[in-house]
Parts: sequence; structure tokens; C-alpha cells
Amino acid sequence: MIEWGIIGIVALLILIAIFYYNRFVVLSNRIDNSLSQIDVQLKRRADLIPNLIETVKGYAKHEKAIMTEVTKARQAMISAKNLAGKVKANGVLEGALGKLFAIAENYPDLKANTNFIELQRELSSTEDRVAYARQNYNDSILTYNNICQKFPGALFASIYGRKTKEYIQIAPSEKNVPKVSFN
Amino acid sequence: MEHIDFRDQISRNKRNSIFLMVFVILVIVLLGWTISNAFDPSYFFLIMIVSIIFSIFYVWINFYNSDKIAIKSVGAKLADRIKYRDYYRLVESLTVASSLPMPKLYIMESHSINAFASGRDPNHAVLCVTTGSLEKLERRELEGVLAHEMGHVANYDIRFITLVAVMVGMIAIISQIFLRSLWFRGGGDNKNSGIFIVIGILLAILAPIVVSLVQLSISRKREFTADATAVKFTRNPTGLIGALEKIRKENTPNEKVSKAIAPLFFSNPFKRLSSTHPPIEKRIEALKSF
Repeated sequence: MIEWGIIGIVALLILIAIFYYNRFVVLSNRIDNSLSQIDVQLKRRADLIPNLIETVKGYAKHEKAIMTEVTKARQAMISAKNLAGKVKANGVLEGALGKLFAIAENYPDLKANTNFIELQRELSSTEDRVAYARQNYNDSILTYNNICQKFPGALFASIYGRKTKEYIQIAPSEKNVPKVSFN
Repeated sequence: MEHIDFRDQISRNKRNSIFLMVFVILVIVLLGWTISNAFDPSYFFLIMIVSIIFSIFYVWINFYNSDKIAIKSVGAKLADRIKYRDYYRLVESLTVASSLPMPKLYIMESHSINAFASGRDPNHAVLCVTTGSLEKLERRELEGVLAHEMGHVANYDIRFITLVAVMVGMIAIISQIFLRSLWFRGGGDNKNSGIFIVIGILLAILAPIVVSLVQLSISRKREFTADATAVKFTRNPTGLIGALEKIRKENTPNEKVSKAIAPLFFSNPFKRLSSTHPPIEKRIEALKSF
């Protein structure tokens, strides 16, 4: 009888170990996936900018300063090496776009241009998506870190060499994201 | 946001779905047993086999076509991607927030503000909003409503509510068949058949009532969870609160909606049947506490 009891306990422990192993794999894959989602959305955003600049040029040629600012911010975002840099550059780009849209208010023809309206909506929608992707990333990290730090997850984390991960930090200037209202 | 564990709700829904199926199969067996005793016990196996095959087919077909059935029963149309670009954009953003696959989007002609989600799992989900919602709601409010529906998708409410609707329909059909078949019953050569006929009639009347009570009680809690999930996706309860306030002010009930799919809707489509949805005031109150 005692042998069976021992076998039962060992089998249970193995099952728990397998469960935690798979849980760590699933959760860290989820983090990777949500991380790439941020990248996808930032790229989508960057792809919209040249089109926007073209449209603005047609109506407001003299506003060179703001257009270079936007283009530069876009360039900085594309060339940023890591995600933190990209997210930071995205904040700068967001500010520049806010200025651009404020200036556009002075050009009624531009404001009424369907292409411009469409791009404006598309950009505000991508801004949402960037924010959502980041949320999703941070949520995935929270779930992962919780399991890494709670008992008995912490025990298995050290056995499997899993470490807690860092959240994306939000720069203070970036916190009020919706600077322009398109409604 | 960690205090509301959505994974619990998801596994609870999956488990309840199985319980429900077992429960309904038991009800069918019980009905079959009573019916066969009421007529002629020697037909027991024949009646059982027929009713089990019938019910499995019924559940299977309805379950796999649930999205189409729900869409058809309210007369919704597939949303045009060009015409309803903002609708598509909002839902696409929500798929980023929720890591859910993109559902199929539908439009339903109606002045009232409402929406529903259906389907057997997130990969086969459909989302439908009324034209009234698109006209009357601001962007953030519409996003809140859509996020609530995506919450139902994410929490597997759509599967459970769909199953319940299918089961309720099936039990109603069986009860009807039994009650009607009594008219064609021959002379009573079986001594016990009298008792079984009484039991059968009672069951046939009670079963649909019990099942719809189950249906009502389960859908109310889900609304709160879906609201909470919506806030988890958008991190912005004000949009959803705004939408609920607008509904409270001006909504007119929609008569086109059948009772079976009422729990799928964002707000209660009926005036009288208030029990599928918690009161809007309670929902707003809960949202304000975020």
C-alpha cells in the first residue's frame, strides 16, 4: 500500500511539474506575440505618414517646419533599435502629428479633403491599437510575473530558470495620449 | 485589473456548457421513459433511440449553425467594409486589445441602440450592431458597446448562451410533440399508463419552464462580467457608461427579436422581460467603480 501511495505522489508531482512547464511556455509565448503586435501597429502607423505628408503638401505647402518634424519623428521611430526606443519615438511622433492636425484647422480645403479625413481617422485608430497592444503586452507580463512569483510557481520558475520580465515604461509626457479629438 | 479573473469565467462557461448538455440529455431520457410508459413500455428502446438520435442531430446542427441562425432570425446583413469603415476599424482595434480573431460583422436595421454577439467559439464569432447604434453613439461609446460584445466572445458566453437557446428550443419541441401525441393515443390496455400520462404531462409543462428559468438566471451575471471585460480591453469605462446612459434615455424595444436570443443582446430588447439583463442603473454603477 505504501508503495502505491509513493507512486501516486510522485506521479502527481510530475504532473504538476509538467503543468507549470507548459504554463510558462504558453505565457511567455503570449508575451512574445503581444510584443510583435506592438511592432506591427507601430509599423502600420509609420506607413501612413508619407501618404499624409503628400496630402498636406497639396494644400499647405508653406508649413514645411511641421512636415519635417513629422517626417523626422517617423524616421526616428523606424530606425529605433529596440522597442522601448520605438515606443518613445512614437510618443514624439504623436506630438508632432497633433501639431500638424492643429495647423490643418487653418486650411479649410485640406480639412474637407476626403483623403485627409480618412488618414486622420486611420491614424487615430492606429493610436488606439498601439495603446491596446501595449496594454495587452503589459497584461501578459503581469500574468507571467504573477505565476513566477507566487508559490509554487516561484519554485518551478527557479527550477526552469524563468525570470520575471519588465513592463514597458510610459514616459510622463506620453500619458495623455488622445491629444487631438477628431469628432 | 487582476482582481476579475476572466480565465475563471471562461472555464466556468465551458464546464457549464457540458453540464447543460448532460442535463438536457437526462431530461430527454426521462421524457422518453415517461412517454414510452404512457403509451407502451415495449417501445421504450425504440422511442429512446429515436429521441436520442433526434436530439443529437438537432443540437449538432443548431450548434454549428448558431451564428447563421441568430443572424437570420433578426434579419441582419453583412456589414459593407467600405460603407462601415469605422465599425470595422473599431473592432479591429479591439482584436488587438483582446488578441481575439476578427469576427464577422453584421448590421441590423433598427432605430434602437443595441448589439449582439453569437457563434460557437471565438473563431466563428459574429458581431451585429443596429443601425441606430451607429447613428446615435459617439465613437468611444460605440467602442464600449463593441468591447462589451467582444467580452462575451472572449468569455465564451456566446457558446453557452447559444447552447442554452438551442436546448430550450429542443425541450419545447419534445414537450409539444408529447402533448399533441396524447390526442392520438389508443385505448388504455396498460394499467400503469394513467399515472405516466399525468407525470408526462407535468414534465412536458414543467421542463420548458425550468429550462427558461435556468436561461434567465445565467445571463444576468454575464452582463456584468462582459462590461468588466470591455473595460479591460479599452481601459475606458466612460464610453460604455455613455452608451448605457443613452440607451436608458431613449431606447425603444425591438419586437423583431425572438425571446430565445434575447440574452445575446447588449441591452434587453423587450420591455417586459427585464430578467435577462440586470437593470442599466446597476451596470452603470458597477462601471463607475472602476
